[in-house]
Amino acid sequence: MIQLHDVGVRFGARQVLDAVTLSVPRGGRLGVIGPAAAGKSVLVKVIAGLVAPTTGRLVIDGIDVTGFSEERLAPVRARIGMLFQNYALYDFLSVEGNVGFPLVRRGEPADRVATRVRDRLRAVGLAGSEAKLPSQLSGGMKKRVGIARATIAAPELVLYDEPTAGLDPVTTSKMYDLLRADHERSGATAIAVSSDVAALITFVDTVVFVYQGRAHYQGPAATVADAPDPVVRQFVRGALDGPLVG
Amino acid sequence: MKLVIDSLFGRITAIGVYVVGGVRATFELWMVFVGTIAGIWRMYGRRGASRPTGALVEQLHIIGNRSLLFITVTIGFIGMVMIYQACLQFSRSIGDLSQVGVQFVRLIISDFGPTLTAMMLATRVGAGIAAEIGSMKVTEQVDALRMSGVLPVDYLLVPRFLASIIMTLALSILGAAIMYGAGGLTAYLSFGVNPRIFFDLSFVQPRHVILGLLKALAYGAAIPIVSGFCGLRARGSSEGVGWATTAAVVGSSFAVISLDFFLSVGALWLLKGDL
Amino acid sequence: MIGERTVTLVGTRAVAVSREVGGITILFGQILRALLPPRIDGRELVKNLHKMGNRSVPIVALTAFFAGGLMVVQSAPFVKRLDATSLAGWAAGYAVLREVGPILIALMFSGRVGANNTAELGTMTVTEQLDGLRALAIDPIRYLIVPRVVSMMVMLVCLTVIGDLVALVGAAIVAKAVLNIEFGIMYGSFTENLTPHDFLHGVYKSLAFGWAIAVTSCYFGVTVRGGAVGVGRAVNAAVVAAAVSVMLIDFFLTYLNV
Repeated sequence: MIQLHDVGVRFGARQVLDAVTLSVPRGGRLGVIGPAAAGKSVLVKVIAGLVAPTTGRLVIDGIDVTGFSEERLAPVRARIGMLFQNYALYDFLSVEGNVGFPLVRRGEPADRVATRVRDRLRAVGLAGSEAKLPSQLSGGMKKRVGIARATIAAPELVLYDEPTAGLDPVTTSKMYDLLRADHERSGATAIAVSSDVAALITFVDTVVFVYQGRAHYQGPAATVADAPDPVVRQFVRGALDGPLVG
Repeated sequence: MKLVIDSLFGRITAIGVYVVGGVRATFELWMVFVGTIAGIWRMYGRRGASRPTGALVEQLHIIGNRSLLFITVTIGFIGMVMIYQACLQFSRSIGDLSQVGVQFVRLIISDFGPTLTAMMLATRVGAGIAAEIGSMKVTEQVDALRMSGVLPVDYLLVPRFLASIIMTLALSILGAAIMYGAGGLTAYLSFGVNPRIFFDLSFVQPRHVILGLLKALAYGAAIPIVSGFCGLRARGSSEGVGWATTAAVVGSSFAVISLDFFLSVGALWLLKGDL
Repeated sequence: MIGERTVTLVGTRAVAVSREVGGITILFGQILRALLPPRIDGRELVKNLHKMGNRSVPIVALTAFFAGGLMVVQSAPFVKRLDATSLAGWAAGYAVLREVGPILIALMFSGRVGANNTAELGTMTVTEQLDGLRALAIDPIRYLIVPRVVSMMVMLVCLTVIGDLVALVGAAIVAKAVLNIEFGIMYGSFTENLTPHDFLHGVYKSLAFGWAIAVTSCYFGVTVRGGAVGVGRAVNAAVVAAAVSVMLIDFFLTYLNV
């Protein structure tokens, strides 16, 4: 469904991503792991079309969308949901306004939006908090509102940028249970960025290890701790000695 | 000698970087302006446009109504100060204060009223817009909007742009009236100028009013564009928002002063010195 | 009739303003106490002087140039009616030195330096750096605030002096370009009619403006709550408070005719 060919991103003098090539099949679940500031978030933003690649091509469902204008990207993005690292809840809208926003923008009738919002909030375990403002929610609750918003328009691809950062281990497990159930039901493709590898691999089937701006290693999630690559092994096991730089 | 040349070379490089950055920023600023105008067309002009009124009314309230007290206080005080200084100068030079009101109302209408009001709005409204949009940028709310197929310029800038133009015009008229009133009062209380002589509007020409309104229109358009541009360029976290807000205040204040200068000189040239 | 809601609103606003004014006054007292004996962190002071002063020169110079030119343009019709080109320099110079120069430069300074100061202190506050200093038994007032207040006062005065000069030059250039008044006439008009008092009047004002901008910007910086949104809001509040205090101080100093 998603293909990146030789994608590079440069911010000024800094090469953030370099020659990243990867592909995710429809219904697949890809985990993006790697050290801090390795370019994981940028990779997800490239797939969402939020950051334009400096070099290379981005192909979604066989259509090369590289260099599309914001207006031409809109129908592509309509099929993508995204959970942002900082939740990115609109602080001027209530929970209901936030979750329903993507549907309202498509001109869905108000009663249909309200029903969908109620369904989604129940699914993420936040039934009854429609009228609250984002500032009244805890971090975990904001993440779940963000997930409800990302998935309300039944997207074919959902991007999760750090879905469990700052959450305690129990809440983290609950979060991945929720995502797993969601994706088993919808069959949507998922790409998730996380620093918590152990929890992440319970959800995804493949991982890509981003290191110094490159897709350093790709392989099945289950065996990542025994990956043939020494850098990946060291990173996943959290060993102090090894070839990992930085 | 080598040291001198090196430092000179460094200076020139620094100036070059400065100039290139300035040119690029000006170009991007221009693109934001063009985008906003196109956004007005997309939101209100074309057939089947959404024409949201709620956001516009909210911004009119924030930019206009909530600035009322601030404008009244600051413009009132500066009006008193201006007249006071002018009376001092007139009594030192001509010794005749009967001309103060006549000269001042012309200045207030064609320049001080709109310009000082806009300077104050650049501070309050410019900082507000940049802080709000900048916070949304660094917390990824702007990206979230884009993911929902919303152009940030349409959704965030268009209502603020329209509201700022309307309210800068309205507040400039109010500011001019406050300055005039406060000035007349000061002239009477401190220098004994007869209010009937002070409040003499017979020398005010339509061209003064037109020039004043034209300036207010230009300021009202420039403030949200400059501030919105600064907000959308915010990076990082709280530090980025702080920087954006600072840049918005300086940028929009400077835009007001330079627009004033060029519009005034242009008007003077067009009217062949008979402003 | 005035409704109950309006009265409540006015009351809440008045209480909020009083709280800010009280907070600023307390901070001012703490600054004064930290200045006795005057032990200022020298490195912090030099760093701030450079950052606040030198880097503000371009924007202040440009503003002053436009201000000087504007005053000439505005006085043009009057000069023309009286047919007294020798008055152009006086009219423009008087307005620039006493009023327009100090005010515009102070507003620019508040936007560039004051707002930046609030943002910086605000970021330090939300990232708990101030608490970090306290944990090391370093008084943030003495170490962070006092050097900033001193530099802002010193630098606004210096910038006003530079700005005055640039504005007069700007006035002369615009007078030549737009009204075709020779430089010699403008120079004569400046030197014959403007008194040192006109110049000093503006300089004294700028000292007071510098103090007001410094104290308000520091106050809103150290009282920030709530992350990036809070920092933006604090900067907004700081520039508004600075503008109001500048206008109030200007009013009183003009009446006192210092």
